[in-house]
Amino acid sequence: MNVSVTPDIDLALDHPIALETHHHSEKKGIMHYLWSYDHKMIGLQYLWTAFLFFLLGGALAMAVRYQLGFPNHPVPLIGRFLPSTLASDDGTIIPGGYNMLVTMHATIMVFFVVMPLLIGAFGNYLIPLKIGAGDMAFPLLNEVSYWLYVISGFFILAAFFAPGGAPGTGWTAYAPLSAVAIYNQTQVGQSLWGIAIFINGLASIAGATNYITTIITMRAPGMTMFRLPLTVWSLLITSILLIFAVPVLSAAAAMLFFDLNFGTSFFKPAGGGQPLLWQHLFWFFGHPEVYIMILPAMGLVSEIMPVFARKPVFGYKAMVYAMASIGLLGFIVWGHHMFVSGMNLTLSATFAVSTMVIAVPSGIKTFNWLGTVWKGSIEYTVPMCFTLAFVSMFVIGGLSGIFMASTPVDLFVHHTYFIVAHFHYVLFGGSLFAIFSGIYFWFPKMFSRMMNPTLGMIHFIATFLFFNLTFFPMHNLGLGGMMRRIADPTVYEHLRQLQPLNVICTIGAFGLGLSTLVFFVNLFYSIFKGPQAPDNPWLATTLEWTISSPPGHGNFPITPIVYNGPYEYSVPGMDKDYLPQNEKAPTNIQLEIH
Amino acid sequence: MVMPMSLMAESRVGNIYWTPQNATVNGLATDGILNFIFWLTTSVFVAVQVVYIYYLVKYRRRPGVKAHYSHGNNKLEIIWTTLPTLIFLGLAIYGNRVWYNIHRPAPADALNVEIVGYQFAWDMRYPGTSGVLARSDVRKISLDNKFGIDPTDPHAKEDFSTTELVIPVGKPVHIFLRSRDVIHSFYVPEFRLYQDAVPGRTIAWVWFRTLRMGNFQLACSQLCGKGHYNMKAPIRVVSQKEYDTWYAEKVKKPNIVIGNSSIISQ
Repeated sequence: MNVSVTPDIDLALDHPIALETHHHSEKKGIMHYLWSYDHKMIGLQYLWTAFLFFLLGGALAMAVRYQLGFPNHPVPLIGRFLPSTLASDDGTIIPGGYNMLVTMHATIMVFFVVMPLLIGAFGNYLIPLKIGAGDMAFPLLNEVSYWLYVISGFFILAAFFAPGGAPGTGWTAYAPLSAVAIYNQTQVGQSLWGIAIFINGLASIAGATNYITTIITMRAPGMTMFRLPLTVWSLLITSILLIFAVPVLSAAAAMLFFDLNFGTSFFKPAGGGQPLLWQHLFWFFGHPEVYIMILPAMGLVSEIMPVFARKPVFGYKAMVYAMASIGLLGFIVWGHHMFVSGMNLTLSATFAVSTMVIAVPSGIKTFNWLGTVWKGSIEYTVPMCFTLAFVSMFVIGGLSGIFMASTPVDLFVHHTYFIVAHFHYVLFGGSLFAIFSGIYFWFPKMFSRMMNPTLGMIHFIATFLFFNLTFFPMHNLGLGGMMRRIADPTVYEHLRQLQPLNVICTIGAFGLGLSTLVFFVNLFYSIFKGPQAPDNPWLATTLEWTISSPPGHGNFPITPIVYNGPYEYSVPGMDKDYLPQNEKAPTNIQLEIH
Repeated sequence: MVMPMSLMAESRVGNIYWTPQNATVNGLATDGILNFIFWLTTSVFVAVQVVYIYYLVKYRRRPGVKAHYSHGNNKLEIIWTTLPTLIFLGLAIYGNRVWYNIHRPAPADALNVEIVGYQFAWDMRYPGTSGVLARSDVRKISLDNKFGIDPTDPHAKEDFSTTELVIPVGKPVHIFLRSRDVIHSFYVPEFRLYQDAVPGRTIAWVWFRTLRMGNFQLACSQLCGKGHYNMKAPIRVVSQKEYDTWYAEKVKKPNIVIGNSSIISQ
């Protein structure tokens, strides 16, 4: 239904908006779940597929931790069923197999779990709802993106069954190890990996195109850019990063595939190629990639915190500028992965400066989160607990980054477990905590039921404790000299003394695995048997909470008109402590413009 | 599960991070900045957490108490943007100064040793009594000329190779780093040194001066294939006298084959 734009509305529209929602027939039966043009269904498709890969990626991590904690002991229960490329007959993980486990754990978590959850699931589900649109700009492209992701998933799984096994060159696949079959001995597996990455990249590029177009052109009347919820801002900036970064990876993957299979020498010195070229290409993508994985998480957390603090976000505009700075600076720091690669030493020093500077916007955001809880009225729901924990864990991960940003310290900690600790703090303590927070928060909107808060609290406390038990000691392991990607640390005399730390990390990892089971039990039980949820159980202000749970096809029966910013909580003089974005403030109330 | 504690392994420093005890001059500067960053980040972390937890406890929901409606404070934004920027820029400058110092040119009287990584072990090449390593070219590396030595060089037949690095304490050692196949790396935590060995080139900016004698292990620290986990070599830092004796024995028997087949590595 069209709504005419009346003159007394405070509009500052950048572009004409599409008031007409798409009309497509609703499919019935199983096809409804497998092929849909509805962004909400597509978001859920990404969610479930990513959760399956999450279980696989987690299992691979358990195997890695088992080998590191108890080297050369047969893996209990499942060891004997592992393929010969991964383990010997009695179930002991073999060195080549260990490299494969590490490689595939990381590849799957990055490309098949974190990105699809943050961008594919939350991005798809929330963007049209939060901007007041009926769907995405390109619904067919949206569904095609999902199936490209699934196809890339088949290729990555196929790598496990390739002759020679899955690639064991790390998710970073440095050349010439990855580019020459006799060096890596997994030509087919590495090739399948390259194809999977390439197709996965197509899905990302298509999705990013969709999101940018939707956010720019399909906002409801009154939804100016600075009234956008921070989740939407984070996904907009993330999408811009994807557009510029992913094609570089795709090109690199193609070049690698050619080197490996068609005799080219992009990265092979004997043929005139440059090993460092791979690293520049990979990290030119790889660094923005890590911001791609944290920015949406920051967006989710910035969204959830004000709801349970009943306070506007502190410094909304600063938060937007900080995210934009992170995105922009993220393109000029990639060399910090290459300080000790053989790259020009002065170039390394230059990257060190930009790397130190990029810490500033993350610091700004952290201070603004503190400002958001300051003088709030904090309710410790499960989503709020994960959101609050995100801040602390992200701070730890960010601060450990300072060490490696300093070139001489990186000389000491590069490729050690200090790095592994750092990125797990930002990816698990950061991105994954935000994902958990988001699931608990938007579950009622997606499934019109509430998740069980007791199980949720058990999940949170167990995850928090086991997460820190698993990853904090890795700082010590790294500073103590333990290198990454080694199948058996006890081979080195100076590492044997550290082995008890490895055992602690392994125990923590098993605890994490069990904690995650609690989450899945809660998730599935609540979908079918959870108590009914009202449309706005959290009394939140953004547009998705003004419509039914789950929203109907086309989302908004009447296109909303937006009058306020996204976080008008506890406005003085009002009866209720929240003001939805599509509700005019009472005439005597003066809102602060952020 | 009893781990045999090797008599050769160094004991850990009783510091808070369990770093292995430093053994080089450049390591002193590295430890200095590592310490500085540790105390800086720990202080920031503690301060932020204390404030954070204080807020989380003080501002928990209580009946009748409303949250404070505020969209922020621009003055604070400016303060907590400019101050950290200055601190981080200062830290970058400090770090780069140490970086340049570590990589300043090696002294002329340094002992030159070439270290070549390959799947999955290390070869060291020592110069003959001239002290000068024979001229070589990575592109000449082949199955019967493992170091790519130019046979026309007058020093060609003087060099010898070993599989352990033996060096005299206190003397500067200048490493020439190479790889025969994939990227490996030279990593000795006690030396606070790391450098990737890239095939197709020689990296010549690694040098160090040891502070004490001891037994260490060179570890490959760049994933290089199935045997990466076990790609190690012994490093013995010995007295000048012991080194001279060892060297005199070795230099009598140069053991490097310099063939001229044209098989080259990938």
